[in-house]
Amino acid sequence: MGKSPLHMAKEKDVTALGFSMTAEPKQRFQALAKLGQLRQSLRSLVVMLETCTKCGRCAEQCHSYLGTQDYYNFPAARAELLRRVYKRYFTLQGRLFGRFAGAEDFDAETLDKWLTYFYQCNECRRCALFCPFGIDTAEVTIAARHILSELGIIPRFMQGIAANMAKTGNNMGIPEPALRDTVEFMEDELREETGIDIKIPVDKPGSAVLYIPSSADFFTNVDTMLGVAKLFHHLGWNWTISSAMLEAANFGLLFNMDVMKEHNRRMVTAAKALGAQLVVQGECGHGWRAAKMYTAAINGPVPFAIRHIHEVTAECIDELPLNKLPLRATLHDPCNYARAGDLIEQPRKILRAVVQEFVEMTPNREENFCCGGGSGLLMEEMKDIRMQLGRKKAEQIMALGKLDYLVIPCSICKAQIPAVMDHYGVKDLAMGGLMDLVGKALVLK
Amino acid sequence: MLFFIGQVLPYIAATVFIGGMAWRLTSWLKTPAPYPITLFPAPTSSIARFGAIGRELLFFSSLRRGDQGLWIWAWLMHISLAMIIAGHIVGIYYLTHQFTLIGLSEAASSSLSASLGTVSGVGFFAALVVLFYRRTAIPEVKRLSDPADYFELLLLMTIVVTGMHMRVTSLAEEVNLVDIRTYLGGLLALRPVPIPEQWIFVSHFFLVNVLLIYLPFSKMVHMAGFFVNRILLTKPAPSYPVQGAVDRVAAPVKGVSSNG
Repeated sequence: MGKSPLHMAKEKDVTALGFSMTAEPKQRFQALAKLGQLRQSLRSLVVMLETCTKCGRCAEQCHSYLGTQDYYNFPAARAELLRRVYKRYFTLQGRLFGRFAGAEDFDAETLDKWLTYFYQCNECRRCALFCPFGIDTAEVTIAARHILSELGIIPRFMQGIAANMAKTGNNMGIPEPALRDTVEFMEDELREETGIDIKIPVDKPGSAVLYIPSSADFFTNVDTMLGVAKLFHHLGWNWTISSAMLEAANFGLLFNMDVMKEHNRRMVTAAKALGAQLVVQGECGHGWRAAKMYTAAINGPVPFAIRHIHEVTAECIDELPLNKLPLRATLHDPCNYARAGDLIEQPRKILRAVVQEFVEMTPNREENFCCGGGSGLLMEEMKDIRMQLGRKKAEQIMALGKLDYLVIPCSICKAQIPAVMDHYGVKDLAMGGLMDLVGKALVLK
Repeated sequence: MLFFIGQVLPYIAATVFIGGMAWRLTSWLKTPAPYPITLFPAPTSSIARFGAIGRELLFFSSLRRGDQGLWIWAWLMHISLAMIIAGHIVGIYYLTHQFTLIGLSEAASSSLSASLGTVSGVGFFAALVVLFYRRTAIPEVKRLSDPADYFELLLLMTIVVTGMHMRVTSLAEEVNLVDIRTYLGGLLALRPVPIPEQWIFVSHFFLVNVLLIYLPFSKMVHMAGFFVNRILLTKPAPSYPVQGAVDRVAAPVKGVSSNG
């Protein structure tokens, strides 16, 4: 227990994002009003709040609980933080029977716990897979974080990203001139490596394909972007990236649903402006979920297809000229690919084609454990907790013995897992995206 | 008092139960579900979707996944309960002679009916005891539990105990199934007749009425929430005009024909 280590955004920054800060005495009243609104608009939330039988089955399935051993990180207990308040103010049984039925008054301590524990949930959805009713704690976490943000309670990290996004169209805050510089540098690198002129087109008019990378691919995960550029070059696709929408991630999904919609609208606008027939999302887990699962509902129907780079790659992998890399590699399934984005077999098909030995970790596919960074918990001040959240993942990977490469095809995983492995004493393991390997295995002419 | 329990309360209970469940269910269904929250891997056809939900319903497959410790007791509890409910409906209607329909003699049918009922009742009770114990024995689950969680298990236990009591003691002689059928038939036909005056039957029947009244306001609504939730989780993912677009974009694919 205890206060969250999160650094919170200051009032002027919150206001700049278009939120207003609710004064402390009014916070709980406001929170209940917001909860009342969500109750009228989200069936999943209502059913999930009203269906739990408190069997406790989820405890041993949650890496957050397993890693921290903190009662409130046990999915049912985490959801109860909101459920007990919901029962008290919005259900007949809660109003009639009170504590007997598990209803509790909304006190200031509970609101503190919301901030602490809904920001220790990675929204990985593993609990939903094991729950007899499929209760998805991520839905409760998304709702709770949304309510908190509506009160102006927003982690500085989230606020910073949202501000960057609004200003530059990407999370890292890369302005267009810097982007063009970086791209030029990347093209030089490609030329040096392959001897071929491989372009990374920026805002190229008349492009049929809009590729939306994670903006981190221009800083830390450069090889992912290079791999994609090589593939598109080989396929001869008429593609571009957009300086106005250079971000596959959608942090709105991780703290405020209106920000999520706005981000999604930005993607749709960029694709429409370009006249693209196809939007390809890069390696980002929750961003893929947002694009695939939410676009149609928010901005649909859209005049273009939305696909993931792994889907596109898996479909043509058998026809690519590949030199299998001499690596023993394993695949970490990003939660939002496996459980929330229907990308389970595609990355496997690709990986089998590009390395000599592919080993599965256990459990895998939809039963994977989260890396512990999911839902955007990458802020520095969360590092100690994040390492605990990643313990299960580290154990899974270490159980595989000697590995040459660990595939972590999601920008959050790419930021979290290297730190986790280092923390648990694995110092010499190469890791990165899946498209990185495709780029290295691809024989270009 | 017997008049109230026998001829008034059942109608109150039925009204509250049906009305309450309908109210809970409609309150969920009238709330919009704007975003698909499909949990993958998801069924891709409506037949597969029906099958996936059916498997969950019959075998509790998600609960069984990975760890079967809770699954076996939860499943036993529910399957026994289903047997008991089915047994009550056909057993009372056919006065335990239901198995003559599949060719058994009346005596054999009654004895099979009694055996199945006893097995189900014992299974149900045993499962309830284990679930109650589990709730107190696992620290996280104990901490999560509210009085209502224990109350519900105890209520079900008292119902099964009073029910089984009629079966296994000399009261079985006293409790006349024909009278009970006549009484229940009268209730269903909206021409209530006095309740048979055996205290053990009256208490069993009273407790069932209490359960029906309590149920729509308890976590036992999971019987309906199950379906609403499972339908949400198996909803087909949104589709975008994928195929045509990719073909147009991909053609001509450089290098594919020469290297493929």
